Amino acid sequence: MWQRIKQGLETRIGLEDLINTKLKSYSVPRNTNIFYTLGGVALVAFIIQAISGFFLLIYYVPHSDHAFRSVQYIMTTAPFGWLFRLMHVVGSNLMVAVIFLHLLSVFFMGSYKKPRELTWIAGWLMLLVTLTFCLSGYLLPWSQLSYWTTTVVTAMPTAFPYVGDYIANLLRGGEFVSGITLNRFFALHVAFLPPILVGLMVIHVFLIRRIGLSSPPFDASSEETKPWTEYRHVSYPNGNSFYPYFVLKELYMVALYLVVMFFVITFMPTLFLPEASNIPANPLMTPAYIKPQWYFLAPYQMLKLIPNKFLGISMQIALIGTFLLWPFFDTKTERNILKRPLLLATFTASLVLWVVLTMWGRSS
Amino acid sequence: MKRRKFLKSLLALLGSTTLVSFAYPLVRFIAPPSRKAEVKRLSLQKNEIPAGEAREIVLNNTPAIIINRPGKGYIALSRVCTHLGCLVGYNKAKGNLICPCHAGIFNLDGKVLSGPPPKPLTEYPLRVEGETIIIG
Ligand code: FES
Repeated sequence: MWQRIKQGLETRIGLEDLINTKLKSYSVPRNTNIFYTLGGVALVAFIIQAISGFFLLIYYVPHSDHAFRSVQYIMTTAPFGWLFRLMHVVGSNLMVAVIFLHLLSVFFMGSYKKPRELTWIAGWLMLLVTLTFCLSGYLLPWSQLSYWTTTVVTAMPTAFPYVGDYIANLLRGGEFVSGITLNRFFALHVAFLPPILVGLMVIHVFLIRRIGLSSPPFDASSEETKPWTEYRHVSYPNGNSFYPYFVLKELYMVALYLVVMFFVITFMPTLFLPEASNIPANPLMTPAYIKPQWYFLAPYQMLKLIPNKFLGISMQIALIGTFLLWPFFDTKTERNILKRPLLLATFTASLVLWVVLTMWGRSS
Repeated sequence: MKRRKFLKSLLALLGSTTLVSFAYPLVRFIAPPSRKAEVKRLSLQKNEIPAGEAREIVLNNTPAIIINRPGKGYIALSRVCTHLGCLVGYNKAKGNLICPCHAGIFNLDGKVLSGPPPKPLTEYPLRVEGETIIIG
């Protein structure tokens, strides 16, 4: 039976040929490490978000009068609703963590360098879209946490003279965060952002396949000698084939991801759901100790420390822009960061600064 | 060659007309509906707010607060923090207004004492007529 289906498919779409040319003969460097799998793990994380999100849509009501109660219903009454909600909540946090790690390892291994600038940019845009996903999703349960975090975030554009207020009002659909905002963010979360993210993913993966994987820069054999003046595909004739070797490595890491996710769901279910997420939104009362999610704590702390609103927010935009275009600033061909003390020092210092700001933001 | 050029510019014209006739409605569609600022007055009895006390109100859809400052009389301030829009709360013990989001602190005249807020809180006109306080 299985044989006949396979044979049938083979005659029609040439599955074998596809697997041979696209997966088996596509070889990756022999010395790839586990950090190379993080992109794939992020992809799986996204798929989990999409699927759990579809299920949540069945019970969620995107209206300011009902949103909070519908989420409570999912958590307490709908059979296993809590599981899908927690998968979505925990999954979103883990997805951001995986993307951060992916970005750090790509930076550390110098994989963003010529000719892979566009891959880096597509990846950065995906990070920004993911964070927009997180922000818009945060409002949907219509809790105190949702309401006030969104108030703060949508007020950020007001730091800019003339256009700022207009942009803020455009985002919120009015002067304050209201039911209109909820509907806007809902539309963003379920209809506008997904195709954008998927589109960027396609570009990202296309570029990786088209250019060829970069190899870890830590031994002499991987050194690129030819200058990059015209297109060529980077291949590794005596590397490992993508399937099954690399795919297995990938699966191993995906399994690890799932273990972490279900461990958190089982043993620390409230890790990402602080007190204020259990109180319905109240536009007349800002709760004490309102804090953003961990991945926004560093920018949050920065905003608190910089007394000038315009300066604080433009600095953050400048930082994002610098990272986005980083491959065009760093044009040295040396890819081994260990041989570039200045870059290594800056990298480590920014990382430490980020951690310090995050901890500080958490405790203050 | 001439014919090709003509067709090209015709296509460009059609294309841009379509684009503009789509883009303009889109921008209008997304922009928030304009809301007329309704000027409503609010009045309270003086004895509702003894010295040192405050009362939270909503004025023209904006959360606001009336404070009876000891020795200085009544003041009506918007509760919307000028930093990023959280609502300040009255701290009776310290005699100031605190924003919980980024620890902005205002004095009872609405001036910034510390923290990131760039501007003082908006003050609303307030009159006292006999036993009545009229705001707005
Ligand atoms: S919103 Fe008040 S201090 Fe930031």
